[in-house]
Amino acid sequence: MSPRRFLTSAVPALLLALALPVSPLRAAPRPVVLSETGSTLLYPLFNLWAARYTRLVPATRITTEGTGSGTGIAQAVSGLVTLGASDAYLSDFLARRHPNLLNIPLAISSQMVNYHLPHLDGRALRLSGPVLAAIYEGRIRRWNAPAIAALNPGVPLPAHRIVVVHRSDGSGDTFIFTQYLTFTTPGWKQRVGYGTTVNWPAVPGEIGATGNPGMVEALHTTPYAIAYVGVSYASAIRREHLGTARLENRAGRFVALTPATVEAAARARVGSTPADERLSLVDAPGANAYPIVNYEYVMVRTHQPSARTARALRRFLNWCLASREGSAPAFLDAVGFVRLPKAVRAISRHQIARIH
Amino acid sequence: MRRITAAAAAAVPLVLAVITGFLVFYAARAIRFNGIGFFTTNGWSIGNQYANPIQMHGVLAMPGMHFGIVFLLVGTLASAALALLFAFVLGIGATLFLTEIVPGRLTRPLSSLVELLAAIPSVVYGLWGIVFLAPFLARHVYPLFARLGAVVPFLGRPIGAGYGLLTSALILTLMIVPFITAILRDALLAIPAELREAAVSLGSTRFEVATRVLLRGQGRTLIGAGILALGRALGETMAVLMVSGNALNSLPERIYSPISTMAAFIAAQLDSALGDQTGLAVRSLAEIALVLLVISILTNVLSRLLLRASPPLHV
Amino acid sequence: MSEIRRRTLPRSRILRRRLTAAVGWSVAAAAFGVLALAMLHILGLTFLRGLSALGPGIFTRNTEGMAGGLRNAVVGTLVLSGGALLLVAPLGMAVGVYLSEFGRGRFATSVRFLSDVLVGVPSIVLGYFGYIALVIDLGWRFSLAAGAITLAILMLPYVVRTTEQALRRVPTALREAAYALGGNDRQVVLRILMRAAAPGILTGLLLALTLATGETAPLLYTAGWSNYVWHGRLTHQPVAYLTYVIWSFIGEPFRSAHRLAYAAAFLIVVFILLINGGARLILARVFGPDR
Repeated sequence: MSPRRFLTSAVPALLLALALPVSPLRAAPRPVVLSETGSTLLYPLFNLWAARYTRLVPATRITTEGTGSGTGIAQAVSGLVTLGASDAYLSDFLARRHPNLLNIPLAISSQMVNYHLPHLDGRALRLSGPVLAAIYEGRIRRWNAPAIAALNPGVPLPAHRIVVVHRSDGSGDTFIFTQYLTFTTPGWKQRVGYGTTVNWPAVPGEIGATGNPGMVEALHTTPYAIAYVGVSYASAIRREHLGTARLENRAGRFVALTPATVEAAARARVGSTPADERLSLVDAPGANAYPIVNYEYVMVRTHQPSARTARALRRFLNWCLASREGSAPAFLDAVGFVRLPKAVRAISRHQIARIH
Repeated sequence: MRRITAAAAAAVPLVLAVITGFLVFYAARAIRFNGIGFFTTNGWSIGNQYANPIQMHGVLAMPGMHFGIVFLLVGTLASAALALLFAFVLGIGATLFLTEIVPGRLTRPLSSLVELLAAIPSVVYGLWGIVFLAPFLARHVYPLFARLGAVVPFLGRPIGAGYGLLTSALILTLMIVPFITAILRDALLAIPAELREAAVSLGSTRFEVATRVLLRGQGRTLIGAGILALGRALGETMAVLMVSGNALNSLPERIYSPISTMAAFIAAQLDSALGDQTGLAVRSLAEIALVLLVISILTNVLSRLLLRASPPLHV
Repeated sequence: MSEIRRRTLPRSRILRRRLTAAVGWSVAAAAFGVLALAMLHILGLTFLRGLSALGPGIFTRNTEGMAGGLRNAVVGTLVLSGGALLLVAPLGMAVGVYLSEFGRGRFATSVRFLSDVLVGVPSIVLGYFGYIALVIDLGWRFSLAAGAITLAILMLPYVVRTTEQALRRVPTALREAAYALGGNDRQVVLRILMRAAAPGILTGLLLALTLATGETAPLLYTAGWSNYVWHGRLTHQPVAYLTYVIWSFIGEPFRSAHRLAYAAAFLIVVFILLINGGARLILARVFGPDR
C-alpha cells in the first residue's frame, strides 16, 4: 500500500474511531451518580461503602476520590461534587455564608502520632501536646531532648535530629492535630492556631506530604521522622513497623489509641452535639479518653439538582448510618472507626432529611 | 478560503488574549492585596479560616493571611538552573559523541534514543522518580555527596528521603536535554565538511576540531536552545510535583532540601486554596500563573531572537 | 641544539593534547551513556512492572476504589484526547493553511509568534484557566467538555505548526500548476496541497494526540475522576483518565493501587511509542530517511 493510499484511508478511519465513543451509547434510564471527594481518612471507608452499596442498589453509582478535606469542603461548597468528605467541620464563617450546606457526621475517627525510630522495638513513646508543639515549632530538635526523655524514662532515645512531617495540602488531619496543640499549648494557640492548613513554623529538614498516603510514605522512607496520620492507615503503619505514640489527655494520662479510648472520648463530648453537628471532640475530658478524636463529616448541599438525586443521596447516607449496614463492624473496624452513638445518628438523620 | 483561514488564524491570538485577560482580571484583587511583597517576602498562608474575615489592604481577608512566594521563586529558579547546567553538560557531550565519534549510520537511531526522552509523559517521569530515582539517590548517591559536605557547601547532611532540589533538577534535566541535543545536532550536521577537513589538515585532533571549531560558532544556537529548555524547566508541573518534596514556605538549605516550584505549587494548592472563602488564595494562584505566562513569553522572545527561527516542537 | 628543543616541546604538548582528547571524549561518551541508560531504565521499569501488573481484569473492569481494572480510565483517555483532537484538527489545520499559503505581513508574523508562545505556556496554567473559567464560571463541572477543550488549547500550536511546515514542503511548482489550470484557492488548497501534505499533517495530528494522552496537569482540575466508564454527557460528568491513575495511585500505601499505576504507565507509554513510531515511519516513508 502506498503511503498516500494508506493515509487517505487512515485519516477517515481514525476520525471515525475517535468519533465513535462520542456518540451517546445507551438509551436506558441514566443511573444517579453520586460523586465524592475529600478526606483521605474517609477515602478507604468510602471505597468499601461504594463497592457494597452499588451492588445493593445498581441504579446508584458512586465515584470516590481521596484528595483531602480542604478539597472536600471546597468542592462541596462550589457544587462540584455531591459529597465532600472532611475530618473538619465547617467554620462559623462558612456555615453562615452557606446556610444550605450541611455537615453530617457519619462515623467517629481518631488520629495517630507516628514515628520512624528504627531501634525502638515497636515500643510506644509517650508524647504530650506541649512536647509535640515544641517539636513542630523546632524548639525540640533531637529525639533525646530532655523534654521527651522526661516523658519516657528508660527508653533509649537516639541523639538524632527529628524530621518533622506535616501535610502540605488542606487537611482535616492538620485541623484536628493543630486543635490538639492549640487546646493543650497556649504558645501554639498564639503563634499558629488551628485550621485545615496552618502557617507551619519553619523547621530545618521538614517534609511536606500530600494526603495520609503521603504521610505514611514519608514516614516509611525517612528514619527519625514524626507525622500525624489518620487511623484508617493503621494497617499501613503496622505493616511498615512504624511506632505509634501514647498521647497525654486532658486528665494528664498517656493513653494508647484503641476503640475503647476513642469511645471514652466520644462519650464525654457527644452529649453537647448541636443541631448542625459542628463540634470538636479533641482533648475530651475523662481518664481513659484518647485526645485526638473527631467526627468524620460529609458536606452536602440541602438543595440537589433533581429529586431523584436527592432521594438517592438520602437513601445512601441513611444506609451509611444504619448499624447493620454501612455502620456495621465489618466496615468500621476495617478502617479503625467507631460507630456514632445513637443520639448523634438521630441528629444526622434529621439533617439528612433536609436534603431535597 | 483566505478569509476563512484568516479568521481561524485569529483564534491563536484570541485564545492567548482570553487566557491572559482572564488571569489578569482574576488576579487583580490578589495583586492589590499582595503588592510587591508577593515577590519579596516568604510565606504562603491562607490565614485562620476559622476566624472571621477582616479588611486588609482594602480587601476582605482572613486574619494571618499572607502570600509571599520567595520560596517558590527560589525553588523554581534553583531547580531549573541546575537542570539547565546538567542538560548543557550532558547534551553537548552526548551530541558531540553522536555526531563526531559514532559512525554516521548509527547517529540517527542513537540520537532518537536520547530524543525519545522528550516523548515520555511527565507523570511517567514522576513515577520513575518515586519508584526508582529518589530512593536510589538517597540510598547510594547522596550519602557519598554528604561526605563532601564538610568541604563543599550545600552538600552536608541531612540528606532526607531523596525528594528535593537535586532530584527534581535531575529529572528536569532528562526532560529538557532533548531540546539541546536536537538543536545542536542539526546545527553541527549543517556545518560544511570543509571546515572540519581544514581544521584536521592544520594538525588538530578530532577533539580540538569539535570543541574549538565546531562548538565555537554555536554560542548563539546553544544559548537559544538553553533559554527554550529553561522555559520548559520553569513550567514543568507533574514530575516536579511528585519528586520535589513539596516544600511549603521553607527555603532550601542544601541540595537535598525539599522545594516547590510555581507550576507544581498551583497544582498542589489549588484545592486547598479553594477552601479559602475570601477567594484571595485562588486569586493569588492566578497571580503565580500570570508570572509563569510572562516567563514563557519572555523565554520565547529571547530564544526566537537568538535562534532566528521557531523553536522545534518535536525533537 | 635549538632544532632538538623545538622537536621535544611539541611532543609533550601532543601528549597533553591527546590526553585532553581522550578525557574529553570519555566525558562525551559518558554523557551519552547516562542519557541512554536513563531512557532505557525508564522504559525497562515501565515495561517490567507494567507487564506484571497487567491482569485479565485491566480492560474489562472499572476502578473500584484503589483496586479493580482500568476500563474507565482507558475509555476516558481515548475520549478526552480523541475529543480534543476532533476540536483542534479543523481549526489548527486551517490556521496552518493560512500561515503557509496566505499569511503575509504583520498579522501572520504575530500569529506565528503567539503560536510559539502558546507552546511554552505551562500546561498547569491552561489547567488553572480551564478550571476557573470552564468548570466553575461556566458551570460545566468536571467534564469531558472542560477537559477536551483545555487539551485542545494545548494541542493547537502543535497542529498549526506541523500543518504549516508540511504545506511549505509542497513544491511551489505544484501550486503554480494548480493555479495555472484555473483552480481557485479552495480547490488548490483542499484538492492539491492538503493531499500532497497529508502525511506531514497526519504526523502532526498524531504527535499532538500523543501529547494529549500523556498530559496530566491540564486534566486534574477539568476532567476530574470517575470510577465509571464515561457514558455520553459532555458536561456535568467527570471522566477518568490513565495519567490520573499514575499520579494519584502511586502515592497510596497499597499494593493494588501501585499495580494499577504501573499498568496505566505501561499503557500510556506503549500507546505513545506506537504512535510516535508510526508517525516517524510515515515521515520516513514519504520524505526519505532524512525527515
